[in-house]
Amino acid sequence: MGSSASRTGPHTLDPRTKLVLLLFANLMLFFHVVLVTQLVMAALFLTPMAVEGRTRMASRFAVAVAALTALSMIDPDAMGVPQLHVVSALAVGVSMMLPCFMTGAYAVATTSASAFVYALRRMRAPEAVVVPCVVIIRFFPTVARDYRSIREAMALRGIASGAAAWLRHPARSLEYVLVPLLMNATTVAQDLSVAALTKGLGREGAHTSRTAIRMRACDWGMMAAATLPLVADIAGVV
Amino acid sequence: MDGSRSVEALDVRDVSFRYDLADADGGVRGGADGTPAALDGVSLRVAPGECVVLCGASGCGKTTLTRVANGLVPSFFHGGFAGTCLTCGLDAARVPIDRLTPLVGSVFQNPKTQYFNADSTDELAFPCENMGMGTEAVNRRVAQVAARFGVEGLLDRDLMRLSGGQRQRIAMAAANMLDPRLVVLDEPTGNLDAAAIEDMRVLVRRMKDSGVAVLVAEHRLAWLNGIADRYVVFDGGRIVRSYAVGDFLALAPDEIAGMGLRALDLEPCRRRVRALAAAGDEDGSGAPLLRTRGLIVGHDRRRRRPRFGFGGAGRGAGRSFRRVVGDLTLRRGLIVGLMGRNGCGKTTLARTLTGLAKPLEGSIELEGREVGPHALTRAGFMVMQDVNYQLFSASVREELMIGFGADDSDARSRCDAILDALDLTAFADRHPMSLSGGQKQRVAIGAALMCGKDLIVLDEPTSGLDRLHMERVGGLLRRLADGGRAVLVVTHDEELAAGWCDRIVMLDGPDPSARDAPAGVAARRRTP
Repeated sequence: MGSSASRTGPHTLDPRTKLVLLLFANLMLFFHVVLVTQLVMAALFLTPMAVEGRTRMASRFAVAVAALTALSMIDPDAMGVPQLHVVSALAVGVSMMLPCFMTGAYAVATTSASAFVYALRRMRAPEAVVVPCVVIIRFFPTVARDYRSIREAMALRGIASGAAAWLRHPARSLEYVLVPLLMNATTVAQDLSVAALTKGLGREGAHTSRTAIRMRACDWGMMAAATLPLVADIAGVV
Repeated sequence: MDGSRSVEALDVRDVSFRYDLADADGGVRGGADGTPAALDGVSLRVAPGECVVLCGASGCGKTTLTRVANGLVPSFFHGGFAGTCLTCGLDAARVPIDRLTPLVGSVFQNPKTQYFNADSTDELAFPCENMGMGTEAVNRRVAQVAARFGVEGLLDRDLMRLSGGQRQRIAMAAANMLDPRLVVLDEPTGNLDAAAIEDMRVLVRRMKDSGVAVLVAEHRLAWLNGIADRYVVFDGGRIVRSYAVGDFLALAPDEIAGMGLRALDLEPCRRRVRALAAAGDEDGSGAPLLRTRGLIVGHDRRRRRPRFGFGGAGRGAGRSFRRVVGDLTLRRGLIVGLMGRNGCGKTTLARTLTGLAKPLEGSIELEGREVGPHALTRAGFMVMQDVNYQLFSASVREELMIGFGADDSDARSRCDAILDALDLTAFADRHPMSLSGGQKQRVAIGAALMCGKDLIVLDEPTSGLDRLHMERVGGLLRRLADGGRAVLVVTHDEELAAGWCDRIVMLDGPDPSARDAPAGVAARRRTP
């Protein structure tokens, strides 16, 4: 059973730490942290991703952060193109949500389902929270694939689905994507719940995890490092 | 656990069940006016080591009975339940479903939506972890079960990158992790090719040999020859006949067909498929619509998108895939079957021919002119395996009218004619998602006809269908071809291929006619 070492190695954070990082990302969105804090936190979020070998994911997010920061700093009035206000406003909006995507993608990509179940139960999360959480997390990866299939289906019908279509008819484009996505989601969610129940996910009592889970120095270190800039920002020190 | 082995694995006594409206999903059901009884006074016993096959048309109640056995009915699928089901001595309808988990293993039809972990070993360990077993015990059990089911080579792999057949083998092993006394299989081969089905057969035999009772609800019956002990035929929620294996296998093919069941012996179909594959394109009838030259399909690593998933998903990412395709001609009026193993590139070829993927090399001609992907997408249409992705509107009529103005009277009359031709007029104002799978397929095809598509590609249109619905799909293909369109059907279904295809292209596989030509389209070079 050797090669699950890629997850159980010394650099892996505990699922609880990952959830705390996700919580921090949401707090950043809630408190509208300043740009410096955003950049520091982004660097902190990307570090464990890179350390765990998700270099491609980390570098893509790094590029996204850089691009969005650059776009949000342009001054449309100085450039004499007031239309660009839309772009910079969008960039600011997306870059505020980006930390949630980063921590979410990191948590989902590097944790097995049982590790999540185990961690949630250790946190004394009730049954009614654990089962939907695991189903939802398992559901995320299917969405990207679904979206691609829907784009292809639209192309076959001659329904424009590119960036231009999104700009010209945002509501209609959203409807064409969301209707099949949600209709499919109900089926997938039902199938997953059924599979979960027959595998004992909802069983009361202790669950275990094959992956060793415990809070280590790197977990506490990571949390402390992320708490510092966030608290400083919210307290108004930065 | 062993002391109770003498109890029947399953003892269903006079069970009736009616789904609540909200849960009435599976299969073909009546209109919106309440659901008919899914089960109506069913009694059945299954002994340890016995394999019982539940057969019958879609919606006959066989899937519901499997759900009664593993406790999903009535605890997850709600409804009116009457009678008693003793699963390994426990009253399945009344104990919490967790009590049944260690006793009953379940495998479902769709390999994509029955695993929770991205990693195959995690998936096998999952039921044990949910039972609270220690790490050492879990690892030991994983090793034992993997050896017993011959999936050692599939351990520590990314499940998303395994073929459907490999995933289904993992699902079978996972269902056996807790050493169950009963394993319930609900159309486990719906999405599998012949080789993968053969693997399933071996696994079921292994379960039987170790005293596990097996309950299979299945349309495809041929693979169960030699491992089934009893066949139970359902109709309208009732058991209409129960056969011992000898009596059932002695039935004539037309008696089987008369009960609406799939063939017991696929050898005649396979012979016909081989003959069609060997015949190639030599008669040359029908005007050529599309021709390929020196085509290589696949995807290379640079075009892969990042994927997110539970642990391990990124490992082995970026693998590229190439398949050389022998020159191929699709003609108007002909149905061409595209066959071959799971993962040999059938869907990739279909996507390339409809312009959804770029060819790696080679060219494609449409009506004699070399064209690029955009022109192919305009000319062709693909009915996806999961047709739910292809329906965007709130009613069937609106769906067909996408891209046409509501006041375009010419389009409206064309729409009416297409609805009529596809037997959809009665559903014109229904929401597409409220329709059955076959009706949805027809809506998607109707939309393609509205767009004036010349090439209609269908990806596995008959997976999980009973005989009647399979034949309906066949008839529909024929009508499309007779209307002057070229039809390409990607399929594992030998009965569909033998019964309805004019030509077969073997993209790969064990077929001897495919061996010498790298692309599998053998014997095509013989000039008429």
